[in-house]
Amino acid sequence: MTNSIPEIREADFLFVIGSNTTEAHPIIAMEMKRAVQRGARLAVADPRAIWLTEIADWHLQLKPGSDVWLLNAMAHVIVTEGLENRQWLEANTENFDAVRETVLRYSPEEAETVTGVPAQAIREVARAYASTEKAGIYYTLGITEHTCGTDNVYALSNLVLMTGHLGLRSSGLNPLRGQNNVQGANDSGASPVFYPGYQRAADPEVREKFGAAWGVEQSDTTGLNLNEMMKAMGDGRLRGLYLMGEDIVISEPNVGRVEKALNELDFVVVQDIFFNESCRFADVVLPAACFAEKDGVFTNSDRRVQLVNRAVEAPGQARPDWEILLDVMKRVGLKQPEYSGPSEIYSEMASLAPKFAGISHRRIGREGGLQWPVTSEDDSSTEYLHKDGVLRGKGLFQPVEYSPPFEETDPEYPLILSTGRTLYHYNAATQTRRSEGLTTKQPEAFVEIHPSNARKLGVQDGQLVDVVSRRGRVRCRAMISRQVRRQAIWMPFHFPEARTNYLTTDAGDKVTGTGEYKVCAARIETVDQAAATQASFPGSYAAAVEG
Amino acid sequence: MTESGFVIIDGNELTCEEGETILQAARRAEIEIPTLCHDDRLTPAGACRICLVEIEGSNLMQPACATRVSPGMVVRTVTPRVDRNRQFILSLHLADTIQDRNLAEDNSPSRLHDLAERYGTSGQWTPVSSPRQGRPSDDNPYNQFRPDRCIACSLCTRYCDQVEAVSAITLAFKGARTTISTADERPLTDTTCELCGGCIDVCPTGAMTEKAALAWGKPERELEKVRTTCNFCGVGCQLDLNVDRSANRVVKVTSPPSGTTVNDGNLCVKGRFANDFIHHSDRLQEPLIRNEAGELVPATWDEALERVSEGLLGVAEEHGSDALAFISSSRCTGEENYLMQKLARAGFRTHNVHQCAAT
Repeated sequence: MTNSIPEIREADFLFVIGSNTTEAHPIIAMEMKRAVQRGARLAVADPRAIWLTEIADWHLQLKPGSDVWLLNAMAHVIVTEGLENRQWLEANTENFDAVRETVLRYSPEEAETVTGVPAQAIREVARAYASTEKAGIYYTLGITEHTCGTDNVYALSNLVLMTGHLGLRSSGLNPLRGQNNVQGANDSGASPVFYPGYQRAADPEVREKFGAAWGVEQSDTTGLNLNEMMKAMGDGRLRGLYLMGEDIVISEPNVGRVEKALNELDFVVVQDIFFNESCRFADVVLPAACFAEKDGVFTNSDRRVQLVNRAVEAPGQARPDWEILLDVMKRVGLKQPEYSGPSEIYSEMASLAPKFAGISHRRIGREGGLQWPVTSEDDSSTEYLHKDGVLRGKGLFQPVEYSPPFEETDPEYPLILSTGRTLYHYNAATQTRRSEGLTTKQPEAFVEIHPSNARKLGVQDGQLVDVVSRRGRVRCRAMISRQVRRQAIWMPFHFPEARTNYLTTDAGDKVTGTGEYKVCAARIETVDQAAATQASFPGSYAAAVEG
Repeated sequence: MTESGFVIIDGNELTCEEGETILQAARRAEIEIPTLCHDDRLTPAGACRICLVEIEGSNLMQPACATRVSPGMVVRTVTPRVDRNRQFILSLHLADTIQDRNLAEDNSPSRLHDLAERYGTSGQWTPVSSPRQGRPSDDNPYNQFRPDRCIACSLCTRYCDQVEAVSAITLAFKGARTTISTADERPLTDTTCELCGGCIDVCPTGAMTEKAALAWGKPERELEKVRTTCNFCGVGCQLDLNVDRSANRVVKVTSPPSGTTVNDGNLCVKGRFANDFIHHSDRLQEPLIRNEAGELVPATWDEALERVSEGLLGVAEEHGSDALAFISSSRCTGEENYLMQKLARAGFRTHNVHQCAAT
């Protein structure tokens, strides 16, 4: 996020796209509700009529995967009506003309035919966004989990740059991070392209620096991202896997292929707090401590580095991941300093990453969470970014063209399947499905189907159905709901016995490799209800995986 | 008032801003005015009357939480009349709940009793015994409403309306029968309630409580609070794990006061209630290694680590380091992610390290 979470309540215009905020980020949604109660206007762009649309001034119910059309059409309105912030963009950006030229070809009227959003609504939202000073954009995986995810983000940042909605309170571009420490994991360099602090692995000087600090010459071979790893496991390029704190056979797209690939590996270590589904493929399973049993830091969506403090002892022989990793490092012959604990590990990282140089456990303990960049002991927390001008010097406009999703509907698979998270569960749900209350509230998987489709298929609410894609078949309950578009269906991915990711495609974004969880082609099949109920014990709906 | 001006509170001349309430101006000057039904996240209700103060030129005392300052206003917060009112109000509310502090605080601490101790009362009154109803058939998993402790301050219903904005609970009935209910007295799970538990958090008397913590039986004051960061989504809510030290157990989760952390005192259903997993019997408690028969069997740490090292080194030797992949986790700490990429880059000289999310 370029802004901070508490700034949301002061915003006068909120553009929420591809984020079911009340379910995925309930506390950020509270800030949005607060802004709306204060009189802020809210525009929600989402294929589903999510809760926020109830209090929104506009709901742009676009067809899944058509975001670039919608956003370019908004830009079209801004440039054709002269609503861009000329003065700001001349001083702070470059390449505006290229974007201008591109978006002129994306008229709201034509956008209406592609996205299904009325041209008038596109115009109104574009005008409201451009003409409100405190206007923030908020997005989540509805933007990024597409083969055109990076393009979607560029299209959003073009809107920000042409209106000068940057470097101000409550006004910026705000990806809401999906997990407790997505930001922190990236910050720490758990990425094939970045060392800690976003220092590029492709840069020889950076490699030199880390090589010298660690006493090991660094490889100049480009690393694989997660999406590429999954594919490389299947084709023999990868032979061994160390998997920590993730259940890839639930959460990766096209898991049928992932399972097959895991079987091919020579060696797999899984380190987790529960015996998750991926453990079935492991040669060694290491028991880890959970967040309540260890010290360290998590970094949240607004770049806030905050402490995690040990409250209770881990069960049995389970140990914190950092202790286990240090032991593994020693065993494989990588000599390590005798760290007294996570605070010293953090200090080592901060000494190598200028963005975090002024952050330490002790300082967070004293001052509370610190928002990076904090470049020295004297530097203070950074509430919002780009305050003193765009960080890279000039904000770079990136013209983007619409590209269709990897998989489009056809007579055999006529529905667009999108997937996501619900309020009551969390990702692979190893934690939330062990909470009695949450499973009472939401016990099993479901697929949202529009009533018109349900009628055509003869499906009743609550009935078991099969959802079928080119990659698999999953059995779950039909939930008939006007929340989804007519030609779309939606499923959560939390349930191992109805594993949604057997269906999804592993086509990834061309830059980040992020899978297209939000769009694949599917169909609904009715099933013999009596037989289905009998056979519906966990595991029984595992897919017949093709290809 | 069009711009800033001056008010005098207890003889202190204070600059105040447009739209400010007496309570806000007083707080800035560190003048304490007790409140019961007030919460900074909510629009003032002026319902409990404990914050009444004297204003020069007005016969009636006014609620500091809801009265806006005007230039030249002279306010007195310490007078015999103000004191008498506070004590009267406290006695009135105490008569409507469990009077004995120890009994009242069987679970969460009671702000009402706290205030009574600090400001005194005008004696113990005959209990009101209001015929306030609960919802005995509400089998929601988390929230227990105990009507005998409720003073109908409406903090919970206003929180539900204004902060969580789902309006699941409401004040129902009139007079002494006033209670907290739902449409048709339905169970919470059958309403718009999203089980955020904010009603429990704002309740000043412990009328709204958490079922599991109530069943555990230890009052909150005997638990140790450990401040930490929530392990679910990316908001980074600060929360307090309430630990029963003697049992090595997280009994419940509470939120820090509003205005102090990024979550402003709010939590969602997962942050507040989904902590069963910590002590779940399914937790992995010992290392496992796959034996020759292909089964995963318990092993010592030494055996398991040896097997890890052999396995990783074996692949690296036979196929090269780039045949290894290290998947780190956005659920783990920053330090752990740092070590994982260090293991990959320094231990095996490969950049094949990534983690599970890429928003």
